[in-house]
Amino acid sequence: MNLIDHKIAEENAIFDAMAPQTGDGFANHATPLIRNCWYVAGRSGEIGRTPLARRLLGVDVVLYRTEAGRPVAMRNRCPHRSFPLAKGRIVGDTLVCGYHGMAFDADGVCAHMPALNRAPASAAVRTFPLTDRGPLTWIWMGPAHLADEALIPALPWLTDPAWGTVTGDYRIKADYVAMHENLIDQTHFPFLHPDTVGTPEYARSKLTAEVEGDQVVIRRILTDAPPPAVYGKPAGIMGKRVTRTSEARFVSPALHRAYAEIIDSSPEPGQPGTYRYHITHVFTPETSSSIHYWWFNSRDLKPGDAGIDSFLHDASSKAYYEDVEALEWIMEVVEQDDEPQFDLSFAPDRPGLMARRIMYRKAMAEVVGGQSPVAS
Amino acid sequence: MAETPGRYIDACILGRRDLTERIAEFLIGAADRSPLPPGEAGSHIELRFGGPSGRFLRHYSLVGPLDPQPSPEPFWRIAVQREDRHRGSAFLHATFREGTRLQVSRPIGTFRLSHEPGPVLLVAGGIGITPILPMLRSLHLRNRPFRMFYAGRSRSELAFVEEVEAMGGSSVTVHDAAVAGLPDLTGLLNAQPAGVIVYVCGPGPMIDALRSAAAGLGWDPARIRHEVFNAAHRPSDGPVTVRLRDGREVAVGPGTTILEALEAAGVDTLSDCRRGECGLCATPVRPGAAVIDHRDSYLGPAERAEGRHICVCCSRVAGGATLELDIA
Repeated sequence: MNLIDHKIAEENAIFDAMAPQTGDGFANHATPLIRNCWYVAGRSGEIGRTPLARRLLGVDVVLYRTEAGRPVAMRNRCPHRSFPLAKGRIVGDTLVCGYHGMAFDADGVCAHMPALNRAPASAAVRTFPLTDRGPLTWIWMGPAHLADEALIPALPWLTDPAWGTVTGDYRIKADYVAMHENLIDQTHFPFLHPDTVGTPEYARSKLTAEVEGDQVVIRRILTDAPPPAVYGKPAGIMGKRVTRTSEARFVSPALHRAYAEIIDSSPEPGQPGTYRYHITHVFTPETSSSIHYWWFNSRDLKPGDAGIDSFLHDASSKAYYEDVEALEWIMEVVEQDDEPQFDLSFAPDRPGLMARRIMYRKAMAEVVGGQSPVAS
Repeated sequence: MAETPGRYIDACILGRRDLTERIAEFLIGAADRSPLPPGEAGSHIELRFGGPSGRFLRHYSLVGPLDPQPSPEPFWRIAVQREDRHRGSAFLHATFREGTRLQVSRPIGTFRLSHEPGPVLLVAGGIGITPILPMLRSLHLRNRPFRMFYAGRSRSELAFVEEVEAMGGSSVTVHDAAVAGLPDLTGLLNAQPAGVIVYVCGPGPMIDALRSAAAGLGWDPARIRHEVFNAAHRPSDGPVTVRLRDGREVAVGPGTTILEALEAAGVDTLSDCRRGECGLCATPVRPGAAVIDHRDSYLGPAERAEGRHICVCCSRVAGGATLELDIA
């Protein structure tokens, strides 16, 4: 063994000795939040020339734009006396603290302190990589050197004019793990969402669940069955029997997306016969027991049709609010019931457990070295 | 409510190895073996360690992992060049071994890569590689466009040169001054894409030369980003005596600051940044013979000329002189 190999072996030994002992497991509300991921910080339109305060992954962040329009995210906490910087004001590209007037530039470095002759060069506030992508602005809360923008998921239907999109948002008092498990579990549809996406046939249809890298995907095909109202009504095919293909994907801790295709094999004249839907669920832990949630329902049928927009917006809001309520009821029980319970799982829970295992491994891999760095 | 963290963490040396004839690498871990938080690229830490004439406080950049893969390290890596007339680095080279105890601050990150998109040029001179290497790794891991220029008096004096070449590939130019002579910095800047931001660390004259090259090209000075160094220590510093209002005398060793000597003697002091910026340690001086060598950036020209205050964290008087402080 040469000297360099020997030193590397020594370093590895130190590293191994310091690693926490972790078994395998499934993430839940008590698992440390995964930080090495692009999360949505907000809609790009809500970040502007007025400071916007938002707690993301347990950290108070302030969001604004420079004069040139670049989005900026920094800790919402002055390094001097912890005054929330969002209570201050924007001057040029700097954010000026409302307590003693310390000004921080868009890189978070102190540019001016009125009480001193010269700005203290060692004073700075942590900033976070922040990037606009269509209607959303994404933030990286883990170590900045891992913030590869190529990892931001592509969601082309949100900007493509061939697709019509309706959207909404909720703040949910539930954890993001439960939200992911809810979204990849479609066996609850007929019971929690009987009026929108759920049909009795759907609950019993066969699905395949696969792990693809760090993602989990479920697919199912339901033939010769009535469409669910949320898809059938806008297309005007409620009376028909159609083929419904659907895919739901745990993409990352920040994103779940679903794709549905409804095929009417004998369409009325002038009707497309195939109807496609992309459902995009993005959410970001606010804390380990609350999330910011944005949903998007995109269709290739008549983009811009106000009647369909209105119907889909209302139907989606109703369905997702049913999820919100369910998850909040569950969280309330989990947090407040003193008698502990280890939940049972059944065969249909496989996709959810697969996703929770991936989240657990990601979270544990970060416990050693992926802690959020402290800038100052 | 979250616990308020202390300013310093108890730490120990986990290992050392020699990188060049004068540069040694040290790995630092928390004394309680908990993982240390990774610093952002370009950040530095304060090291406090005991010496023969009191405590030393020195700033060193966090080099970060050398692995081109995104693997984390639960310890910190620094590289220290032995300057024979700088007592801190010579003492550290002579005494730091696996198990040596010291205190470290949390990472201080003001020399930082902007999140601004656009091309980057990294420039390192000699030991100035220490904050530049993690910047290189950050750009490499995120597939961002950059060029790097790493210069030294000879290749054998360039720490981490192989890691730099492995990570940076064809984006890196290593400049061996023994072979190629002084670098053409104006030519270097001229060859960069429009809108480039330059991050430079190295000897003061090199940073000055790069800034004047940029000025000569009519560049906005804000496009040249560099570390602001702690001005507390100079090779020529000699021992100093401080006399307090009650006549008590405190000896200040050549590698120690007046502030550190006062603290060791149990005198009540206030301080924060320890690099002449915050002004908290500005201390009243009684009229005397000693001429103050102001090294802080807190006192303005008028206050300096008046000579009634001294920032004891970094400013000093000539070796052998006695400084009269108006404190007890």
